[in-house]
Amino acid sequence: MISRSVRAALAASLAAALTAGAAACSADSGDSGGGDRRNPGATGVIGGTPQRGGTLTVLSNQDFAHLDPVRNWTMPDMDFGIRLLYRTLTTFRAEPGKKGTEIVPDLATDLGTPSEGGKVWTFTLKKGLKYEDGSTVTAADVKYNVERSFAPDLTGGPDYAQQYLADTEGYAGPLKGEHLDSVEVPDERTIVFHLNRPIAEFSYTATLPTFAPVPRAQDKGVQYDQRPFSSGPYKIDRYDRGKELVLVRNEHWKASTDPVRKAYPDRIVVKMGLGGDQIDDRLIAGGGGDASAVEWSDMRPESVAKVLSKEDVKARLAAETTGCTDMLHLNTARAPFDDPAVRRAMMYAVDREAQATANGGPALNEVATAYLPPALAGGKKADVLGIPPAGDVDKAEKLLAEAGKGDGFTATLTVSTGDKTRAEALQQSLDRVGVTVKIQTVDPSVYYDTIGDTENAPDMAISGWCPDYPSGATFLPFVFDGRTIQETGNKGNYAQFRDEEVMREMDRIATLTDVAEANKAWAELDAQIMAKAPAVPLLWERKPLLVGDNIAGAFGHPVWTGQFDYAVIGLKDPGTS
Amino acid sequence: MILYLARRLVGVAGVMLAICLVTFTIFYLLPADPAAAACGKTCTPERLAEVRHSMGLDEPLWRQFTDYLTGIFAGRELGEGPHALQCGFPCFGYSYEYSLPVWDLLTDRLPVSASLAFGAALMWLVLGLGTGIAAALRKGTRTDRTLMVGAVAAASLPVYFTAVMLIHGVVRVAGVLPYPEYAALTDDPLDWAANLLLPWTALALLYAAMYARQSRSSMIEAMAQPYIRTARAKGMPERAVVVKHGLRSGMTPVLTIFGMDLGGLLAGAVITESIFGIPGVGRLFFDALQRSDQPVILGVTLLAAFFIVAANLVVDILYAVVDPRVRY
Repeated sequence: MISRSVRAALAASLAAALTAGAAACSADSGDSGGGDRRNPGATGVIGGTPQRGGTLTVLSNQDFAHLDPVRNWTMPDMDFGIRLLYRTLTTFRAEPGKKGTEIVPDLATDLGTPSEGGKVWTFTLKKGLKYEDGSTVTAADVKYNVERSFAPDLTGGPDYAQQYLADTEGYAGPLKGEHLDSVEVPDERTIVFHLNRPIAEFSYTATLPTFAPVPRAQDKGVQYDQRPFSSGPYKIDRYDRGKELVLVRNEHWKASTDPVRKAYPDRIVVKMGLGGDQIDDRLIAGGGGDASAVEWSDMRPESVAKVLSKEDVKARLAAETTGCTDMLHLNTARAPFDDPAVRRAMMYAVDREAQATANGGPALNEVATAYLPPALAGGKKADVLGIPPAGDVDKAEKLLAEAGKGDGFTATLTVSTGDKTRAEALQQSLDRVGVTVKIQTVDPSVYYDTIGDTENAPDMAISGWCPDYPSGATFLPFVFDGRTIQETGNKGNYAQFRDEEVMREMDRIATLTDVAEANKAWAELDAQIMAKAPAVPLLWERKPLLVGDNIAGAFGHPVWTGQFDYAVIGLKDPGTS
Repeated sequence: MILYLARRLVGVAGVMLAICLVTFTIFYLLPADPAAAACGKTCTPERLAEVRHSMGLDEPLWRQFTDYLTGIFAGRELGEGPHALQCGFPCFGYSYEYSLPVWDLLTDRLPVSASLAFGAALMWLVLGLGTGIAAALRKGTRTDRTLMVGAVAAASLPVYFTAVMLIHGVVRVAGVLPYPEYAALTDDPLDWAANLLLPWTALALLYAAMYARQSRSSMIEAMAQPYIRTARAKGMPERAVVVKHGLRSGMTPVLTIFGMDLGGLLAGAVITESIFGIPGVGRLFFDALQRSDQPVILGVTLLAAFFIVAANLVVDILYAVVDPRVRY
């Protein structure tokens, strides 16, 4: 970890570099991806259109969490799995910026046909869809995988099937021969989902890997994670956990059935467990054996200044917004944050600018002004409270005095060890209004267990939320629905916020069948929750990723937290890889 | 000797059982819940209970412990139904993070850590013992003082500092070697050695310094013994005096620490492996800590304990070989 003073110096250099970069750009086209003037890296697609062939190398400091489609719920891992190994009923366009948030049919012929007011959704599979062994992908395989998502030993994946499908109570997966009646497969190519309520954006839900096909004969329970059976353009040649993953072409995949994936490289090799600083250095050099390599995890804040100061390296940096919102959760279950007036004061007291500085600088962090990230609010940055980025100390003091806390109070803040600098920045900003913050740092491995233990939870905790697809339904209910609170292992709603009015409105929005109307309602609910202040929105971060000299077709995809879109990435000159 | 060995093996088994029980109990009492971690972003209490059951975590401590022990000696079946996992002998549990038996992970990573440990050990033995013996034989001279100052300096450098400096100097600035990236010995021996050269050096510098100091003092003590004087008086060549009589008794204490050090390194050099991106047991342990992968943490802990206990036993047996005065 770097010290505050080093971070401050770094932030100053980043700010200077950002200003220079912004001056070089012409118009602010907002979230178009092609001209986001706040983007400190390359705008648009890096390296132009790739050529077919060669080996793309991915340098990573870690292994994938899960590649089994029903266990894969980490955004970059979902990108990797969905774009390379398995196809889903629908998927996102392979384009940067706002266009990338639009969906197109993938396995299905269209985006699904709703009936019964959105409670029943029917999808028809395309003809000619094949697995890696040449066998045909059937609707029954999609149903089987949806059923797998209920198996208690296949943990960690998206739970939308459990949330949305009708009559699933007590269902524990297909391994013992039990099947769901709420998913019908009248023929080999048709699948019908019966939902427990109208879901307007079910076409978006069908982008999740839960809706990828898994043939029953290939299922090996938890061991399927080692080698998912491919319906995508690549198949697994070798997977040494924690060491290396090698993908080769699935010769049975047909580009004619796939509107999104271009599958440019012949091979994709993921090298794991490398040092993060060494990956940055190798890609800053970007030539030789690393010219055909990209990095998997975020570039380290320490490397940012080295990159932004060199135009040729900066041109190889993707820095798409992650689409997640980082928040300071206030424990509404007990004093002093059970009082909405005190929570509102915190909204004004927090210096979010200092948070950006402590988190790697303004080039890679934007001050958040709402819970819903801009991608979920029609590309607009909602700002109902209009609080200055550095906070409004006078207003905060006034609110605290009105709440009878004019003399201040003491509150505990738990952060994981990596966020200590940010905790100290918070401590300083709240000290301005007489709030004494006691910081407790815990190991990242037990952080979420610690803040998710409702009885022993701290007064404040930092945590973010990333939507699974561009809908408020994948954000606000996970973070602010009081019915999701659990005694231990509480996840998402760390503020333990339980508000009848908010929950009623969530239920009402859930019944809306018009997606546009629902999105507008989510944005309005966001403002309503902001007024109740269960959490302080802090930052909208960017995901900085470098590529080598020989990489083409690279851009951060707006849905998968700014990770490269592996559907269209490739090489300029495959002969040199 | 056989009786001694049998007694020691029983002792080893007892120590391992105790370590196993203590580690198991600590994990059982920890607040971190592997089932909650595995369950995902949203997890209803019912789902959590199912996950806990599927992982066998709803059993009482004694039952989980006896199942674990049974698995080590006889293997066991994990879970139920058509996809129940067969965890064969020796079953050290199952990693739900990697979806692999812990034993498979350990045996996959062990050759990597062994590559690192044996290479580094060879390097530090040559460097450390050479320096220590040279200094001892020149006791009190400028050479002795220079070597020992160098050893103190090297011993005071933590491995994470040496490692980062080596990468910076040799790779980043000089460009003599590529950024380290582990290659298997069986795939390409030259690549294997080139990629391990820096990690070996980082570890060897630290250990060599300690061994130089230890071997110097042991040698000085040994060379002052009356039998050395006798050997010299009988006209034995100096080289033979040093090698046959000095080294054999002087190296006994060095052998003890060598056994412990090598045993510890075989179970993974966490910092070195992490900095150099070597996928050995140490890196596995580091990743398991990050992922709260308790079966792997427990497995590596037991492996480390086994290596240290076993190394101790081997060293004690080797005493008899090195030092003729030792008899069992």
